[in-house]
Amino acid sequence: MSRRSNLFAAVTLACITHAGLVQAETMSYADAITKLADDCGGDIRKFCKGLNLGGGRIADCLEQNAAKVSPVCKASVTSVVQSISLREQAQAAYSDVCKGDIAQRCRGIKGDGNILACLVKNKLVSGKCSQAITDAGWR
Amino acid sequence: MLARSFKTLAILLAVGVLPADLAFAQQVSQQRIISGLGKLKANAPAIDVELLRQEAITGAGKQMSALPNWSKIAKLPQMVVEINFENDSVAIQPTSYRTLGMIADALHHPNLWAYKFLVIGHASSTGDEKHNLDLSEQRAVAIKEVLATTFAVDPQRLYAVGVGEAFPIEGTNTDAANNRRVQLVNLGVFTRKQ
Repeated sequence: MSRRSNLFAAVTLACITHAGLVQAETMSYADAITKLADDCGGDIRKFCKGLNLGGGRIADCLEQNAAKVSPVCKASVTSVVQSISLREQAQAAYSDVCKGDIAQRCRGIKGDGNILACLVKNKLVSGKCSQAITDAGWR
Repeated sequence: MLARSFKTLAILLAVGVLPADLAFAQQVSQQRIISGLGKLKANAPAIDVELLRQEAITGAGKQMSALPNWSKIAKLPQMVVEINFENDSVAIQPTSYRTLGMIADALHHPNLWAYKFLVIGHASSTGDEKHNLDLSEQRAVAIKEVLATTFAVDPQRLYAVGVGEAFPIEGTNTDAANNRRVQLVNLGVFTRKQ
């Protein structure tokens, strides 16, 4: 019985760890856009010459030329969009998710940067807040 | 990310050739941006972008520090960013996307997310002066746009101005390629208009 629950615990732990790892794979803008430049640079030069990155123009152009764009680039765009949005969600959620920890562990500290530094140093910060910081890319 | 109190800062970041080890380079560079910006001790003066634009045009040939409004900018901590554009175009080359991404990461970090920034576009003296002025303005605006759209930085935190060939790097020939550059200046704590 105890053996079985240990096994169950191990499996559960493995799942949590795995989920944690998947979540942690949010990407910085720098890494995300580098992947896009690496995987789509050729296609952008070929099909979107003169278009600029901002305003969704490159994304629109790649979409319009989907039939000709390389599969590597297409896959890259999908993953880049996803990882950026995961990180944005984590950054947006941070203040709320970590509110309790900030009140409890970093009371009286002024400045958002100093508060973050306090949370990062504090080992007792809740798992949720800790994960939000990781996903936000702030370690 | 909403209203915050008022103080000041400035950045200039120098990013040349990007090493292959991107993860490592990103850490170091983002840290550099953040620490560079964190150095501002005093409050920044009020900055009027239109005044700066006019002053750059009328004061061409003078040092930045010799012009009343630009001298305030010159005192702020800042960084020069190398961002490559297609020739005679506002299109940023894909090789420079990473640099913009690093800037965006830094601007989204709690250490900097309360601040607003001025993007200054500079040109070398190669080509027509008026054309260079317009192009540098459009390129500064293009950088602001990328940061505000692709990289989700609040556009109200960003200002852009082009100064053409007005401010070459001291000790260089005005037509030297490294005078084509982008300067980022932290203008202080962002307060949303009421």
